Amino acid sequence: MPYDSANPMKDRITDIGPVHYEKFFPEIVKKNYGKWDYHEILEPGVLVHHSETGDDLYTVRVGGTRIMSVYFIREICEIADKYCDGSLRFTTRNNIEFLVADKSKLQPLIDDLRSRGNKFPIGGTGAGVTNIVHTQGWIHCHTAAVDASGAVKSIMDEIYSHFGNMTLPGHVRIAVACCLNMCGAVHASDIAIVGIHRKPPMIDEEYINKLCELPLAIAACPTGAIKGVKKEDGSRSVQVNNDKCMFCGNCFTMCPAMPMNDAEGDGVAILVGGKISNRLTKPQFSKVVIPFIPNETPRWPSMVKAVKDILEAYSADANKYERLGDWAQRIGWERFFEKCEIPFSDKLIDDYRFAYPSWRQSTLFKWTD
Amino acid sequence: MPKHDTPLLDELESGPWPSFVTDMKKMAEKNEMVADLLGLLELSFKDKVGHWKHGGIAGVFGYGGGVIGRYSDRPDLFPAAAAFHTLRVNQPSSKFYTTEYLKKLCDLWEKHGSGLTNMHGSTGDIILLGAKTEELEPTFFDLTHELDTDLGGSGSNLRSPSCCIGKARCEYSCLDTQALCHDITNEYQDELHRPAFPYKFKFKISGCPNDCVASIARSDCAVIGTWKDDIRIDQAAVKAYVAGEFAPNGGAFSGKDWGPFDIDKEVIGLCPTSCMSWDGSALKINNRECTRCMHCISVMPRALKVGKEQGASILVGAKAPILEGAQLATLVIPFMEMQAPFDEFKEFIDKVWDWWMEEGRNRERLGELIQRKGLQEFIEVTEIEAIPQMIEYPRENPYIFWKEEDVEGGFTRDIHKFRKEHSI
Amino acid sequence: MSDEKQAVLDYFAAKKGKSKLYFSDLLKAVPGSKPRQFKKIVNEMIQEGLLVYWSSGSTTMYMLAGDGQLAAEEAGMSDAGKE
Repeated sequence: MPYDSANPMKDRITDIGPVHYEKFFPEIVKKNYGKWDYHEILEPGVLVHHSETGDDLYTVRVGGTRIMSVYFIREICEIADKYCDGSLRFTTRNNIEFLVADKSKLQPLIDDLRSRGNKFPIGGTGAGVTNIVHTQGWIHCHTAAVDASGAVKSIMDEIYSHFGNMTLPGHVRIAVACCLNMCGAVHASDIAIVGIHRKPPMIDEEYINKLCELPLAIAACPTGAIKGVKKEDGSRSVQVNNDKCMFCGNCFTMCPAMPMNDAEGDGVAILVGGKISNRLTKPQFSKVVIPFIPNETPRWPSMVKAVKDILEAYSADANKYERLGDWAQRIGWERFFEKCEIPFSDKLIDDYRFAYPSWRQSTLFKWTD
Repeated sequence: MPKHDTPLLDELESGPWPSFVTDMKKMAEKNEMVADLLGLLELSFKDKVGHWKHGGIAGVFGYGGGVIGRYSDRPDLFPAAAAFHTLRVNQPSSKFYTTEYLKKLCDLWEKHGSGLTNMHGSTGDIILLGAKTEELEPTFFDLTHELDTDLGGSGSNLRSPSCCIGKARCEYSCLDTQALCHDITNEYQDELHRPAFPYKFKFKISGCPNDCVASIARSDCAVIGTWKDDIRIDQAAVKAYVAGEFAPNGGAFSGKDWGPFDIDKEVIGLCPTSCMSWDGSALKINNRECTRCMHCISVMPRALKVGKEQGASILVGAKAPILEGAQLATLVIPFMEMQAPFDEFKEFIDKVWDWWMEEGRNRERLGELIQRKGLQEFIEVTEIEAIPQMIEYPRENPYIFWKEEDVEGGFTRDIHKFRKEHSI
Repeated sequence: MSDEKQAVLDYFAAKKGKSKLYFSDLLKAVPGSKPRQFKKIVNEMIQEGLLVYWSSGSTTMYMLAGDGQLAAEEAGMSDAGKE
């Protein structure tokens, strides 16, 4: 029976969770679960996993756009029906993986994907750039300081060769978050682009009392920068201590009469050198190396160039297996700024909480030109 | 004829990377919501600001999560995108799908919403992007009835747990990541749908220390596969790598000529604990000293395998920077066996939640509470013994908060007795 | 209605000017109650239509049901382009 709006609780189903994953496993995965022996990357974006049972599973990894229409998903399904017995998967980094158990279908699948224009770039494996993880941006978010999909498209177009090749010293993971709340938790990426606001919220005196509960707006501020005030006419409003504003937009979430988006104020910061993996060195956070680049729609040329320059400097100078942050630490951050030709400024010295460990407490520094 | 001119967005149709604009335009031909969304997005590209407002009440009855309310601030120009709510749909573990399921999902979403999705959102959910308020309940009804699929988490509740590909297709995995992910997702349905936590809570499960789901950086409870016994060595395969017969790193560095494979330089010399040696005929590993960083295994996957005594390390308290600053997760349990029904793990989680729900301030993540209260208190309430694996180095100050029971004779003393022997 | 539920409603009534409360604040309506036990009561009140959720997306609060004015304002509060 379809949904009956007159009787919404009828036959209601809740708390069933997701579909059990085994229902979606291809036969070869069910059969070889836990029996995989080793894998090889046959060419960028194409993997084979060998099983102890003698089975081989081929994977073709394709960059996805994260935002995709039902028409696009149906096209993916059509391809998976043709070559993959109707199975596919997505990766944590928004890639699409076509799984092929029958080797004779591998090359036809690759050829087919390549025949579809720019829709299905094959790559994202090994020592290269894989797909960018990102947030919603202007397509859908109320605190976004930058668009995410547009920024990602602009970056990936420019560094596309690194998606389809494995020529870098290590994996490079790039992420875009459209504001500093970082839904995408981009703070441990080799290169992170983070949207930032630079102007405190405005206060719309006409609406603030109609639309907002002032105590909630006051409490929403992480730094306690907002306080309640009584105006001359006896009505109540709020005041923002601009010196304490960290530009997070939480007040706007609670109170739409406190907008902060601004064409001049908004843009991105670039952070580098974070990683997740425990391989060789500890996981670490990304560090801010460029405090602000304005929004240059539709293709953000300055931001894209900054990302590309960092990537190329790393590519030219780092040792094999060295992640971007490991490289920067080995050569020293002062040398990093020199090699990347990024100007240093006081904005890059931490003055938030726990700042002290990031300052140098030794005489062990390098000279720069 | 498109409904709105989009000259700025049109520039994002060229180039080698797939274009979300091209895809959205195709959807816009069939769906007015997307046509207006494109118009609104073009306006944002022109104005360089977003045009969305938050909506807090939008949801399905009885659930406090799974729907994010969203309203445009230009309903006058783009009425079809005026209300554009998001549904978070709980993804299957490791995001394998059949096309049959995906096609049904597409039909459902074309019927009820904009037809735009995210595959997937950052937390891992399938995101259905753009529902009018009146379509939320019918979409939920059809999801549960036709696709046997529930909504995911948002707000102050458990977020949809997610995991890496694990043993389904990875030889490194020490865990049945899907089994644990699916089990706890279902065990904690009430926590996932009916928020009563101080703030969000995330579980992420990785099969090995390479941590492909970034659990150590973003989950309140990270479960990371590991092993206790020895790395398994196939000496013949090691020799094959040294002889250049096998591609090191599974070919991951093959795009550039890094010279012939040099086991001394690339494996032995890089080992962070210097626990390996190679004498030209046999590779030796002092497993007692190994910290399981995965480097040697990743370089020579045909020769080296993770150990067989497998389980997980449990780390807690990771979060993005808001508010107290970013935190990586802290190791609290070095090894736990991870077999269904995962009772030991769930007992631990119960204690964690009891403490956090009692002590946590509004919008305080677990990691921040641990910072505020101390790791000591955390291990006390979760009944974990203090061990050196928990720390990077011991404290550098002697300001120890001794408790009365720690000190011989307790804190209560007799001042009169003291005074008899000490003048004032 | 149980004493606890009445206490929750009374607590809301006493909080004039604050239509939304965090769970931990609501917990104070019934002194001494344990969060995970108290949650069951709140869940029931949601099911019975006495309370509704409000979510910022990242955090959730509770409201008395029937505060429909806010819902209407939320959807239609924009005046842009109406001049």
